[in-house]
Amino acid sequence: MKADVAVIGSGPAGLTAALHAAKAGAKNVVLLEREEELGGILKQCIHNGFGLEQFKKDYTGPEYAERLIDEVEQANVRCLLNTMVTGLTSDRTITAVNPEKGILTIEPKGVVLAMGCRERARGSINIAGTRPAGIYTAGVAQRFVNIDGYLPGKEIVILGSGDIGLIMARRLVLEGASVKGVYEIMAHPGGLRRNIVQCLQDFDIPLHLSYTVVDIRGKERVEGVVVCAVDDALEPVKGTEQLIECDTLLLSVGLIPENELSKEAGVELSTYTKGPVSTETMETSVGGVFSCGNVSTVFDLVDYVAQTGTRAGESAAKFARGEMAAPERTADIVAGHNVRMVFPQRYSFRDDLVLFIRSAEPIEKSVRIVISPPGIKMKRPYARPNEMARVRVPREKLADVEGSIEVSIEE
Amino acid sequence: MSTEKRHFICVTCPIGCEIDVETRDGEIVSMSGNKCSKGEEFVLQELKEPMRTLTSTVRIKGARWAMLPVRTDNAIPKRLFPSVLAELAQVELEVPVKMSEVILSNVAGTGADVVATRSMDRSSNGQARRRRRATDVG
Repeated sequence: MKADVAVIGSGPAGLTAALHAAKAGAKNVVLLEREEELGGILKQCIHNGFGLEQFKKDYTGPEYAERLIDEVEQANVRCLLNTMVTGLTSDRTITAVNPEKGILTIEPKGVVLAMGCRERARGSINIAGTRPAGIYTAGVAQRFVNIDGYLPGKEIVILGSGDIGLIMARRLVLEGASVKGVYEIMAHPGGLRRNIVQCLQDFDIPLHLSYTVVDIRGKERVEGVVVCAVDDALEPVKGTEQLIECDTLLLSVGLIPENELSKEAGVELSTYTKGPVSTETMETSVGGVFSCGNVSTVFDLVDYVAQTGTRAGESAAKFARGEMAAPERTADIVAGHNVRMVFPQRYSFRDDLVLFIRSAEPIEKSVRIVISPPGIKMKRPYARPNEMARVRVPREKLADVEGSIEVSIEE
Repeated sequence: MSTEKRHFICVTCPIGCEIDVETRDGEIVSMSGNKCSKGEEFVLQELKEPMRTLTSTVRIKGARWAMLPVRTDNAIPKRLFPSVLAELAQVELEVPVKMSEVILSNVAGTGADVVATRSMDRSSNGQARRRRRATDVG
């Protein structure tokens, strides 16, 4: 099967990429989705707050998805559902399986990676204790409650203060469960500030910072967890252990970009974003392979995901037309003082540079984001690790840059 | 005279100003920390009647999924959430449902409607047309 552009994954990144590849003139766009419906994780994110920037509307996840899906249909994108991509080569040959057609081979001119991310689970954080029923990641609990109609438990402790954990704290209280507390190992919350207010404070759910779970009790079912304060080195402080009785432990302890296919295709991955090293055009190290959304780096807002999806789709369409040669030169973009993560990681001098920056430490006063060379400084009212900053640097200002570009945050 | 000090985090925009307010007999005496006038509006509303959009689910029959996601079409008083949820617990729909279709009007006397936030049909998912296309692999 031939295609101009093939997009792998139909969450917000993939839907946007497919739509904008088609809008940019790609004739034959194929969208590959392993589930029986389009929309990815948006289907279970029934809370509002989606698309404030992109559509100027306060949509819920399913509303946002349906609006995009309608646009994708009108753009005449061919959607293959129940289609699991099992292989991707560096010359852009996709192998997929589908219950009707068996094994499919697709040879698109351009490929967009939009596989999203997966949740870190108990195994990633090594909590000691027994292995009873009642331990779930926040996203799994969200699926149980919002789609399947099951309450995962009645007395709940949440470890980690990522946005999904905060959203689920509120959701479970609304459904009649008791959420005993949210415990966060870091000294600052992981989720967005508005979620701390609307999900925890609104429902009097306590947030314990610099705390973690050190033991899980219970044989058949969770009977309790032992929480413990941690010191500056995140090591448990002896004598602060406390048993919290509960029947369920939810984990909201981070997301990891899902890059098995990227690795197979030989795409260079970044050690700190865990996603493909990309340029401002969303091109990876393998020509004709683009990536966007949470497979690149875990974004805070769907608007940011869509912005990278738009870019990846447009670039893939351009590549398919033969109008996008390999970059003549590139500059690495590196994280400097108080920057934990910067995306994209490479600049190819072909367009304005839109940077997404996550600070290492919170600074609750006016800061300057410094991009050097060329030595551009941009003011921001604060720097918070749980809220990515986004800046746009015009192409003209970067034309004379040689060597690598360092991004730092100064007080 | 009773003086009360309260602390708010404004959720109007992502900055999330931390605002300290002092009230005496319900009247604002002082306010500090807000970077703009929207912060002041937010606090006034919070003191009077905190308003929030409620999102939840209702049971649905004949679909692939057990639950249909819903929302209030406007913000409602937060204190009325339990009444709205009690009404939603009584609802059981049948497919088909279209996105934005009104499920309960003037729910719990709030003046707001509860609306569906996605379409669902018998095939399960409101995406039947697309699924048929999935078999049309060239």
